[in-house]
Amino acid sequence: MNDADTVNAASIPLALNRPLAAYRIVQAAILVTLLWKWEFFLRANSLYAEIPIEDPFFPDWLESVWTVRLAFWGSVLATGIGLVTSYVPLRKTSSWFAIGSMSVLCIHQASYNDMTFITAWWCCLWSVWLAHRFDTKNRELLIRRAAFLSRLIISVILLGGAAGKWTPEYWSGEVLYDIYFIDRDFWLFNYLRDTYEPESLQDIAKWYSRQVVVVETISGIGLWALPARWAALAAVLLLTGIVVLSNKYLVSVMACLIGLACIGFLVPRRSRIAKHPRQQTSTTGNLTV
Amino acid sequence: MADSSEVSIIRESTERDFGFHAIIAFVLLITTWLLLMPWFPGIARQTLQRFHLRTPSFAVWAVQFPVPSMYNFANQYKVEEFPPGFVMMVFDENWRYANHFPARVITFFAGRHDYLSTQTDRWFTLKSSYRGQTLESRFHLEAQTEGGYRLIRIDDVEDSL
Repeated sequence: MNDADTVNAASIPLALNRPLAAYRIVQAAILVTLLWKWEFFLRANSLYAEIPIEDPFFPDWLESVWTVRLAFWGSVLATGIGLVTSYVPLRKTSSWFAIGSMSVLCIHQASYNDMTFITAWWCCLWSVWLAHRFDTKNRELLIRRAAFLSRLIISVILLGGAAGKWTPEYWSGEVLYDIYFIDRDFWLFNYLRDTYEPESLQDIAKWYSRQVVVVETISGIGLWALPARWAALAAVLLLTGIVVLSNKYLVSVMACLIGLACIGFLVPRRSRIAKHPRQQTSTTGNLTV
Repeated sequence: MADSSEVSIIRESTERDFGFHAIIAFVLLITTWLLLMPWFPGIARQTLQRFHLRTPSFAVWAVQFPVPSMYNFANQYKVEEFPPGFVMMVFDENWRYANHFPARVITFFAGRHDYLSTQTDRWFTLKSSYRGQTLESRFHLEAQTEGGYRLIRIDDVEDSL
């Protein structure tokens, strides 16, 4: 392929409004995150009403089942509107409603401990930022910044997981042995229990746990520094791997992050273009030769 | 590493973006907090208290929510039918590990379903450890006649903070 072909091939996908595509991908991923445990939330909804817990630590309104219902449905509705609307003010408003609802879920007595809402909150923060920048004349810069923020956010979330595991109980595998290997009903752990003796299982748990610590540490420290597309590929593989090798409920935690990681794939390649000074990027992000 | 052209277009652009830089600063702040946690006991102590819902102020607890903490610390719990030290009729005899926020065994859906469906009193003990620091907390879940429970923190907690 000659240089002209390279530029022509690259100009076709650039016609896509990449920032808008990125925004919609992340909204769809947040919806998957929120609705993945649909059955679980339905059961939780009735149980929280049946068994309230009065705790002076939480303000009353953050113990109320109505608050958690409104916040959950508010976040679903706002994200859904953000996904489909083309009306810019509505998109901005819905992004604020989504992060507001998600913030409530992150500190409500019934939902604060669910990492689903923490990862979704970070994606909502990214969404608020992007929703207010669609009027830019430089879409290429915008999508590069969006991708940079996406891998920065994924890095800090992985680093948060890693830093809390820099402790002997995780290095020995003791914690994950108890949580996963003893009785977790998931294909990998069912297979290992059926195949290996308890002594061997403890050894497997040790190495399983160590690889988790090492992979999260390396990814947390280094993912943000990779080129956009490589970071996207690495993050999608890593986050998918966590789900496949841990438990299906983590889909709700990881789905929005996987969507966020995919933004890196939308960053246009620059290397060939940069070699040709006469080829410039227009204000709309379309290449002009 | 990121190619230089990509970094430069982000850094050298004349388009000022306060929100972009604010998010970077926010992430850097949290990263610093996380990286210092193993070396500064005060940070780990804050997190231990956060996990046990024992932060002195709700506001201080709440502002920490963006700090990611998936599968953090060695968190254990046990649930008993009688007060600690009374009769050793242990509901769940063994300590079990929880992935993060061990107080979830009290407040979260699964814990309420497993331990609080009977509408009888329960006593929970939580123990979290991180690099030599340990925090142990006890909670009495007192069944209410009108339904539900009242959470009472038992004061004689042991810790090595």
